[in-house]
Amino acid sequence: MNATADQALLTLDDLRVDFHTPTGIVNAVRGLSFSLGRERLGIVGESGSGKSMTGRAILDLIPHPGVVSAKRMEFRGKDLTTMDKASRRKLRGRHISMVMQDPKFSLNPVQTVGDQIAEAYRVHHKASAREAKERSLSMLEAVQIREPGRVYDLYPHEVSGGMGQRVMIAMMLIAEPEILIADEPTSALDVTVQLQVLKILDDLVTSRGMGLIFISHDLHLVKSFCDRVIVMYGGKAMETLPASELDRAQHPYTRGLLGCLPDLDHPREKLATLNRDPAWLA
Amino acid sequence: MSTNSAINVDKLNVSFGDSHVVKDLSFAVEPGESYGIVGESGSGKSTVLRVLAGLNRDWSGEVDILGKRQPKVRDKAFYRAVQMVFQDPYGSLHPKKTVDDTLAEPLAIHGIRDAEAKISRAMQDVGLPTSFRFRYPHQLSGGQRQRVAIARALVLEPTILLLDEPTSALDVSIQAEVLNLLQALRHERKLTYILVSHDLAVVGHMCERLLVMQFGRGVEEMTAATLAARAPQTAYAQQLLTASEGFRRAG
Repeated sequence: MNATADQALLTLDDLRVDFHTPTGIVNAVRGLSFSLGRERLGIVGESGSGKSMTGRAILDLIPHPGVVSAKRMEFRGKDLTTMDKASRRKLRGRHISMVMQDPKFSLNPVQTVGDQIAEAYRVHHKASAREAKERSLSMLEAVQIREPGRVYDLYPHEVSGGMGQRVMIAMMLIAEPEILIADEPTSALDVTVQLQVLKILDDLVTSRGMGLIFISHDLHLVKSFCDRVIVMYGGKAMETLPASELDRAQHPYTRGLLGCLPDLDHPREKLATLNRDPAWLA
Repeated sequence: MSTNSAINVDKLNVSFGDSHVVKDLSFAVEPGESYGIVGESGSGKSTVLRVLAGLNRDWSGEVDILGKRQPKVRDKAFYRAVQMVFQDPYGSLHPKKTVDDTLAEPLAIHGIRDAEAKISRAMQDVGLPTSFRFRYPHQLSGGQRQRVAIARALVLEPTILLLDEPTSALDVSIQAEVLNLLQALRHERKLTYILVSHDLAVVGHMCERLLVMQFGRGVEEMTAATLAARAPQTAYAQQLLTASEGFRRAG
């Protein structure tokens, strides 16, 4: 992989996430391996493919009764599998952070957006309230919010979806993490707003030399946004390939997914449907 | 305006309190046509559909459906001819009613006999195995639920189907199955569709003509061919089209 060339930020080998339910064990992720460098790595898949669980496992956010195991899970040479909860928690937000899908449900509704950003900074850095506020204001500016002073004092219900998502990006980037996991960061947004938000994310990730894991169900978006793509199905990686070569994907699942999208350039009377092969999960 | 349109909307206005969400909207849909309405959130596209379906009674303007001027409150005969499929199959089916209950209710309301045969037929038409008949929604997948919602709309044998983002809550592989089903049903039964969607590729695939809406106004009406040729006239339609093609990195 091209990530190993310049030292990998994150290495996963045989990651598994199992949920022990009363009716049996559900394997959400079954043996996923990859390494992440300073790049934009896309993880695509349909619902239930394990893409979000992968992001959560990296952050140690798998809820009970889920169990994470891996042969190797390292963040910049530090072994995450043996690390205790408190140290994992220190890593979370400071070194690895995550932007969720919907700002409506992810921001605290009874705290102003500015205070939430400042809080994120003060949790990880020793700083006075005043310094945190100044940093938050400049962070709001970095995510291209026009009047940071005014927006700082707004509550989440007073901002639009696109603005809310920019606030979340500001909050996640203010601690200057090395890795950002974005789980469907623009799926709740309109297409035109989506592109603005992606542009901001792209600029910040590139200029700060971060590693980005971009989780999405949208093949077109991942193809145009990421450097490299992992296609997941049923908790397994079907294939990993450069995003620019997604159109020439070899795996029948990837080809099937691409084939069932309606396409303005290739109108068809009937869309292809996907035949799932049980052998893919063997 | 031709008098034999399936749906004819003239100067439709809708306000919720102070916000004027649909402004002087006019369009006509021919019988057997599939007509798309696209726009971003807040453009008023779903509101238009809800007015057509009789779910919203606060509007002004003229709405003719199947040659009849429509009052604010619709009669039973109207609902036999016009049915709607909603976006979220997780929200639109009653969680404590089986597929059988869901399909039997419209038949009971309209006093239609032979429910037994009609329900089996409706399930067959949408490709649901009869063994699913006594299942509850939580025992079905998203795609199966949307098939139930379509069967519920079709069981009354309507001529017009109003589709509000019927596949946007579904995975792309399931979306393809549901879109194929809708296409096949339309051809078999000569149905007229109005499809509301934010996905231009879906509308391009399903519809012959489409209307782009922004801030409650119809910005541009075009044919699917114009859309496929990327040749809309207005800047906004062009912008929407460009945005839907994915991310472009400058430089």
